[in-house]
Amino acid sequence: MAKFVVTGTTVTVGGTDVTTACARAELVINAAEVETTDFGSAGFVEVIGGLKSGTVSLDFHQDFGTGAVSALFQDLVGTVTAITLVAGNGTGATAETPLYSFNALVTSITPVSGAVGDLGTFSVSFPTSGAITYATS
Amino acid sequence: MANLTTIRTRLATNLGTISGLRSAAEIPDNPTPPIGIINLESVDYDGAMGGGLTTYNFVVTVIVGRAAEREMQRKLDSYCQPTGSQSVKVAIESDKTLSGEVYDLRVERSSGMGSITVNDQNYLAAEFTVTVIA
Repeated sequence: MAKFVVTGTTVTVGGTDVTTACARAELVINAAEVETTDFGSAGFVEVIGGLKSGTVSLDFHQDFGTGAVSALFQDLVGTVTAITLVAGNGTGATAETPLYSFNALVTSITPVSGAVGDLGTFSVSFPTSGAITYATS
Repeated sequence: MANLTTIRTRLATNLGTISGLRSAAEIPDNPTPPIGIINLESVDYDGAMGGGLTTYNFVVTVIVGRAAEREMQRKLDSYCQPTGSQSVKVAIESDKTLSGEVYDLRVERSSGMGSITVNDQNYLAAEFTVTVIA
């Protein structure tokens, strides 16, 4: 696959496709640093990978219509919900458009935001819960 | 997916609700003032994933008549008001979804009040910046 410009990360939240309401999508996967420095470390810090965690960040355009994205999140606060992201402007899992699937805890939303004249938007950032799977088919 | 020609036409329809003001969805060869002309200035694509948001930036040029006439200056003033039956902003925003064709629109500003030359005639005119999201 060639380099690409992001125009179509497919995003679902709780099984609902919210792609066309989403302006930015980011998934970060981390591993904790567990220090193993000892007298044999020659004066340098040594670490190994610990527990993994993730954070998903999404920017949306506000829409309070029936079944629209703002109403969707209203009902999800405080719950763990399934989120999928298809990278590479894809709509399904392939080697060039991998599918990331995970659960995330919807910790907060911002239902009202924006200054006069602005496009109504809101941003969310949730911790993942459990494994983040990666599929290419 | 919104249709650009339909957006133009419905903007002109909204503008035409001002009593005594003609409106044109396309640029006419010989505009007869007072007239508002819908011009597409630019289109911003990919405002959301999967083509979910397109922003159309229009400039509506309102030409009122000969530049030297005091009455025309007052008419242009009334078109530039933020409120009132002669307000271009009120007229264009009277149906902000253009009968469901777009998500929203806004008349952001008026500018460029002054003389313009059309077919060797000097007219008084103003420009209105209209942002349409679809």
